[in-house]
Amino acid sequence: TEWNVSLWGKRRAFTEHVEKLAELLNEKTGGEFTLNISYGGLSNNRENLDGISIGAFEMAQFCAGYHPDKNPSITVLELPFLGVDSLELEREISMAVYNHPATQADLERWNARLLMPSPLPQYNVAGVGDAPRTIEDFAGLTVRATGGIGAALEAAGAVPTSMSATEVRQAMDSGVIRAASFAPHAHMSFGTIENADWWTTNLNPGAVNCPVVVNIDAYDSLSDAEREALDSSIDEALDYYIEYYNEQTMAAWGPALDERGIERVELAEEELTALRELAAAPAAQAWIEENNARGLPAQELYDLVIDTVAASKQ
Amino acid sequence: MAGTAQILTDDSTLSRIDQNFVKIERVLALLSGLAVFGLMLLAVFSVAGRNFFDRPVPGYVDWIEQFMPLIAFMGISFTQREGGHIRMDMLVGRLKGRALFTFEFITTFAMLILMALLMWGSWAHFQRSFDFAAPMWSRDSTMDIGLPIWPAKLLAPVAFSVLCARLVLQLYGYARAIVLGLENPVAVPLPIDVATQAALEAKTVSGHDD
Amino acid sequence: MEPIEIGIIVSLGLLFMVVIGMRVAFAAGLAGLIGLIAIFWAKKDFAGDQFIWALTVSVKTAGQVPHSKVASQALSLIPTFILIGYLAYYAGLTKALFTAAKRWIAWVPGGMAVATVFATAGFAAVSGASIATSAVFARIAIPEMLAVGYDKKFAAGVVAAGGTLASLIPPSAILVIYAIIVEQDVGKLLLAGFLPGIFSAIVYAALIIGMAMTIKGFGPAVGGFTWKERFASLPPAAPILIVVLTIVLFVYNPFGGEAWGTPTEGGAIGAFVVFLMAAYNGMRWKELRGALLETAKLSVMIFTIIWGVLIYVRFLGFADLPGAFSDWLTSLSMPPLLILVCILLAYAVLGMFMDAIGMMLLTLPVVYPAVMALNGGEMVSAADSTFGMSGPMCAIWFGILVVKMAEFCLITPPIGLNCFVVAGVREDLSVQDVFKGVTPFFIADAVTIALLVAFPSIVLWLPSLA
Ligand code: NA
Ligand code: NA
Repeated sequence: TEWNVSLWGKRRAFTEHVEKLAELLNEKTGGEFTLNISYGGLSNNRENLDGISIGAFEMAQFCAGYHPDKNPSITVLELPFLGVDSLELEREISMAVYNHPATQADLERWNARLLMPSPLPQYNVAGVGDAPRTIEDFAGLTVRATGGIGAALEAAGAVPTSMSATEVRQAMDSGVIRAASFAPHAHMSFGTIENADWWTTNLNPGAVNCPVVVNIDAYDSLSDAEREALDSSIDEALDYYIEYYNEQTMAAWGPALDERGIERVELAEEELTALRELAAAPAAQAWIEENNARGLPAQELYDLVIDTVAASKQ
Repeated sequence: MAGTAQILTDDSTLSRIDQNFVKIERVLALLSGLAVFGLMLLAVFSVAGRNFFDRPVPGYVDWIEQFMPLIAFMGISFTQREGGHIRMDMLVGRLKGRALFTFEFITTFAMLILMALLMWGSWAHFQRSFDFAAPMWSRDSTMDIGLPIWPAKLLAPVAFSVLCARLVLQLYGYARAIVLGLENPVAVPLPIDVATQAALEAKTVSGHDD
Repeated sequence: MEPIEIGIIVSLGLLFMVVIGMRVAFAAGLAGLIGLIAIFWAKKDFAGDQFIWALTVSVKTAGQVPHSKVASQALSLIPTFILIGYLAYYAGLTKALFTAAKRWIAWVPGGMAVATVFATAGFAAVSGASIATSAVFARIAIPEMLAVGYDKKFAAGVVAAGGTLASLIPPSAILVIYAIIVEQDVGKLLLAGFLPGIFSAIVYAALIIGMAMTIKGFGPAVGGFTWKERFASLPPAAPILIVVLTIVLFVYNPFGGEAWGTPTEGGAIGAFVVFLMAAYNGMRWKELRGALLETAKLSVMIFTIIWGVLIYVRFLGFADLPGAFSDWLTSLSMPPLLILVCILLAYAVLGMFMDAIGMMLLTLPVVYPAVMALNGGEMVSAADSTFGMSGPMCAIWFGILVVKMAEFCLITPPIGLNCFVVAGVREDLSVQDVFKGVTPFFIADAVTIALLVAFPSIVLWLPSLA
């Protein structure tokens, strides 16, 4: 069996779990089951779910926030200020939500079966000018932040602006925005750290959730040995991903900040608590109401995430 | 590369249908043009809002993405009617009469097959983004402020179906010219020799300074 | 059948459809769709009962492309750039620009022709399209050159060549299209076009001055303008500067301060400024409607090519032809620079028969990754690279070279659209006459391209600042 896999961009930390999976499958099945990974050749990143539904390819990666209405169930993982502070925890809450029957039914509409997450670190904010130290400092801060994170920062008084990621650096250099919310690797690749003065270490406003899915028909038509090889490789691929991300990307991040003399801003715990009350609670409430209307067990999904986070902190 | 063509008219039924149909097509094309104008105004609002009112247009990128299909698709049939989709006319530029219209018939028919299939494909694309049961009938939304995308996706099959109708009309025009042996049939774009065509193009951009 | 074989057969079929006169956008779309069907059907070993499945998957895959490719913020620059051109013309800025160029520059040898070159360069800064520029200046500049005794063919050649500057000097629709195909920063590419555009104009001017000094009775210098007259010519032409400044300031602030926004906004604000001028100049709804309709027609034409070709490109992705071509090219045992020169020569040949946009869209998906691989990959650092520049810089450099080649093809026989346009405006000139008159500029363009290849910093200096 050969599967086509639709990713986008280039090979990077964000895609290492799929690359590892391909390697493991090849080994375990003696070359019987291979993954043919394409970076952008098979689909647009925002149409990967469509491609799965059509059957154009068998495996794909996408991000929930690209199209909330396509996958409302997993957007719960993108709610702001969930309190996630590590890739391991991000993986844990993702798998918890992916394994919920309501989520599985939601993705079944696209003939898609959730395989594994691509855990991303929190989208902490880097910016120019005076660093925000209290909630009041967020008032009027023009920041590139989309979706739930944008809404949450707006609740704190910031002015979220949307633009494509490639325009962010220039917008920041030119004063169109003063700050941008990205994962560290994106801060580096989109150049926002080149001129930044500060970066928040513990604002942890949220992250995008990007699962890897497979076409259900293709999955069902695998031989038992192949399916076993696939299922048994996922944990290993994820372990590898997290290790790689921490060692490659996060290890480069600290020195990158130091080199440019970027200040690490740590907000006080009471500021964070206040911020969560101001921004997180209303966002969660709005999400629950909206998704109840869609017929999802929204409260249950939200509680699942919150409880998983709480359990990890015990 | 031909960009312009002549379309002859008379008072036959075919020509009357063509002339009435082009009125619809022109309105759709003007909608494209107005969308470009709207895009320009949107940027003005965005820049002004940001600089003078501290209030950028929310979801600026999302709105641009909603405008673009309007610009890209609505004029497709009008452009085909005017012979405005470019092609290489090294071969057809040298042909005349039946030989010419046979080639035109074949390539237009091939276009019709493609567009009919794409009507199906783009309709399916629309359908995947549309759900009567969902809020705002939306099963696909934009990245930033969550606008439903189905209206923009619907524009493709709509514009493509207008183009298909135009292609059927042109196929009939070519078939008629082949059967009756017409030199200068109505309702189809006739390639003009390159020099005349260039003169026409030049006129459309120069007249004002005279 | 292997996907690569399907890829080659379908590509030949596309060539055939284009040659027999099928409109390029739809020929590419159909080739792509047929190719997809072949690929999917081949996966099922061409079993008869699997054809419908292959057809369905292919049609649905292709059916996503028009909307998903067109709904892009970066592409929104194209219609606004086109709109600027049409509005600038209604704003009546051309004549003012030519008068100013004449009074300030025409005192050099070959003065009127040099003035024409710089006036077209100035108009290029508001016009995104080469053909429009040539057409406008054929009316204004040729009569003035004839009046002071220039050879008619040469005068036509100056205008045809000058028009090509519009696609290098920003705004330029073609540079935007390149940036989108290769997924590079639009703003940097637009910036990168600026110096090579000016550089081309200077090479043209140097050629004219050289000819004027060596050829007897070539065309006199036109002096005698007083400083008062010179300064009086500036205010009517000044609006062009305002537009240029607006666009430039939004992309990159040359005064060392902050830019004012993003390229997307810059294009739109530029269009708005020209719109206000045109309205002030007496443009009413009837003219605006005409301008919008023309903008729509040209935009639709370009967008249809874009999505049509991208269906074909999607098929290429499933066939993995770009990867194969890139592997083949990097395996050649030729010096990389020689390979690059061969690619550019191939563009010169192809460009004789095709238009610039179609040519770029059809070839770049295959050629661009190969060139990047030749340089050492997309993310290669300048130190490790073949051509001595980082991946993103190589993308910019190659883009300017390709666009310059495409512009070169606008003035070469047999299909040099700019020459046709000039001949069309001047009924006393045949196309052959214009091709004769433009010949000296082939040399100038060849020199320019050679220098851009030899000294990439002409291209890369400005974008490296931004
Ligand atoms: Na230009
Ligand atoms: Na040519």
